[in-house]
Amino acid sequence: MFSTGSKYFFGVSVLGAVSFAVYMLLIGESAIGATALFGLVAATGLLTGLVLYTRDGDAGEEGVAASTAAPTQSMWPLIGAIGAALLLVGTITTPVVMLLGVVTLFAALIEWTVLSWSERASSDTAYNASLRKRLLNPIEFPVLAAVGLGVVIFSFSRVTLAVDKSIGATAFIAVGALVLAAGTLFSLRPNMKRGMVIGVCVIGAVALVATGIAGLGAGVREELVLAQEEGHYTHQECGAEKSEHFDKLPLEGISATASVIATVEIFEGKLVASVQGIAGEQNSITIPRSNPTNIVFHNATEGEYRLVANLGKKMVTNGVNEDVILCTQLIPQGAEQLLTLTIPKPAMAGKPYTLTVPGLAGQSIEVIVP
Amino acid sequence: MRRRVIGSIAGVATTLFLAGCATNAPQDTWQPKGPNAQKIDNLQKPVFAVAGIIGVIVTVAIITAVIKFRDKGQPIPHQSHGNPALEITLTIIPALILTVVGVFTFRTVFDLAKTSDTEMIINVTGQQWWWEYDYPVQNEFGITQPIITSGQLVIPAGTKVLLRQTSRDVIHSYWIPALNGKRDAVPGRVHLNRIEADKPGIYAGQCTEFCGLSHANMRMEAVALSKEDFAKWVANQLKPYASPAENTLAKEGETVFMNQCTRCHQVNGMKRADGTPVIAAPDENVVSGAAPNLSHLMSRNTFAGATFDLLNKTCREDVWNADPESFGAKYLSGVSEDCLNQSDLRGWLRNAPAMKPMYANPALLASTGGKYRGMPNLGLTESDIEKLVAYLLTLK
Repeated sequence: MFSTGSKYFFGVSVLGAVSFAVYMLLIGESAIGATALFGLVAATGLLTGLVLYTRDGDAGEEGVAASTAAPTQSMWPLIGAIGAALLLVGTITTPVVMLLGVVTLFAALIEWTVLSWSERASSDTAYNASLRKRLLNPIEFPVLAAVGLGVVIFSFSRVTLAVDKSIGATAFIAVGALVLAAGTLFSLRPNMKRGMVIGVCVIGAVALVATGIAGLGAGVREELVLAQEEGHYTHQECGAEKSEHFDKLPLEGISATASVIATVEIFEGKLVASVQGIAGEQNSITIPRSNPTNIVFHNATEGEYRLVANLGKKMVTNGVNEDVILCTQLIPQGAEQLLTLTIPKPAMAGKPYTLTVPGLAGQSIEVIVP
Repeated sequence: MRRRVIGSIAGVATTLFLAGCATNAPQDTWQPKGPNAQKIDNLQKPVFAVAGIIGVIVTVAIITAVIKFRDKGQPIPHQSHGNPALEITLTIIPALILTVVGVFTFRTVFDLAKTSDTEMIINVTGQQWWWEYDYPVQNEFGITQPIITSGQLVIPAGTKVLLRQTSRDVIHSYWIPALNGKRDAVPGRVHLNRIEADKPGIYAGQCTEFCGLSHANMRMEAVALSKEDFAKWVANQLKPYASPAENTLAKEGETVFMNQCTRCHQVNGMKRADGTPVIAAPDENVVSGAAPNLSHLMSRNTFAGATFDLLNKTCREDVWNADPESFGAKYLSGVSEDCLNQSDLRGWLRNAPAMKPMYANPALLASTGGKYRGMPNLGLTESDIEKLVAYLLTLK
């Protein structure tokens, strides 16, 4: 009564139904989990019916004859087992390993299922192999390419984080030149032995991954560790510069120009603001409350400066207030940086919000939140 | 049967045709009232005409072919493939039409995107489900302090106004059909939109990007005043807050307002008995972090995201139907007690979510950390409502 394919889907469906019942009885709080398991039961149930109805795609007598042939060797059961092991380890250790296990297991299940199905499609093994390729190659190639690219990028990033900036740039140029040279060589010598091409590629990939692992082991370079410890990435330092390793070449391009409400500039030692749509220099900027608002800071004067937003005080604990200060990094002459403000309340009377620049005494731009 | 089908089609077509003849259609896209909308109109009319003619030709050709060559048991006619002359002709003609339409469309798009010649700027911020307008300091218009309002955008007629649009929560879209086309308001971005009204009057609009439960109730009105009347409006908006006289119902209403409404709504200049300013905290109570600023509420004609009128029907029609010369004076007279739309305002204070769908059920706010989308039912007593109405009427 049951065809070979329908037995498989029926089995998964029953497994899903049991899992669903156990899940609902023991956990049962997450609608997402219940929906996923119920979806699995419904989908595999539907597939069971379809496969039964079509008798495994009308394989017919030939298909039955073909099915008596021994299946070819397959690595997917092994990979599936590895995936299951990763899944198990991941549930105990870290979600990343669990995710890796799920992906591996899922990939193995698909590959193995399609392989088994294709081997029984006809008595012609070559045709069966082409059938498998036709189904899976459009998925396999992009996925493998993406994974390969990801490994290369990750490996190389570990190297650049571990070594000095200038060495990282030099290494990037050198590796790029090597790849270009190899590609040029392969294209100029189309008759080169296939084994040679594969060997060169494999050696290159292994070398890069090995270097990446070495970089991962070495960790990031000292100045980045210190910068992290000093909180530079959170722009906590809004006063005079004290850090030894502060990044003095901040972002000079502005990616969010469409969202800019005003530009504040130091021009010939004077702090000026300009607002799009209003003619002339402004000494105040009006911004909506509770909305992220961007202000461009442009340094047109010799020397390094940062823009500081003084946004009143906030209560930290009962009776204890601290200043709310935001700032850009120090930027050299000609550079620009974005300062994003989100101000939930208007300033108290007599204590306006201001934009100032340390080193330019007595100059400020008022920030008004109506 | 055939007659019935034809009759039904004719009935639907006639209804649709007659629906286009409505006179009271304030959001009619075919009645421009300013140069920007006029530019769109100048483009859309010929394009619609061309598209209509082509549509009729194609429809007639298809219907003719379907009827004339329908299967009547005749033998299959000679099958031919390819007719270069016909194919080239049928490619070139649409290409030429699209090129001409494209040239004029691009010109209009660039004209409407121009911002260098605008004279005034207004920040427009959308949130579920109302629009906030704030006017930065612009001394040439007498705006010496920022002005903030909502529901009605007030502009001087004959002035090129640049709207700097953004949003506090989800994507909205600002559209006053009589003054310009649509422009999205996107969180984290500022989109520029220019509008200009030829004459004083009120121009209605509607949010045109689906933005949640009360999207259909997110309306807006642009009010154009003559330059002199606009100066008067500005002067009124800059008037300092005046607390109601002691021992009045309005004074009691101020206390209710301070205790209940200032959790979200700001009234600029309001102070507590000890002299400390009252600063509303919508950021702690509302998802968008803002609620309409109610300073000079009664100088507006609408409330609750322009969903409801503050004026009763008679007074509203008086303002809406006023000629451009007398419009300004009527609008600037604001909302008096006689003209107040008592039923809607009281209904709103009694139970706002019952009048406009909002996410305001305290039991269902887990996903927003207890913050509302819109205004909750404050559970005010009838006595509180009486006092509040008396107080709100003083916010001229």
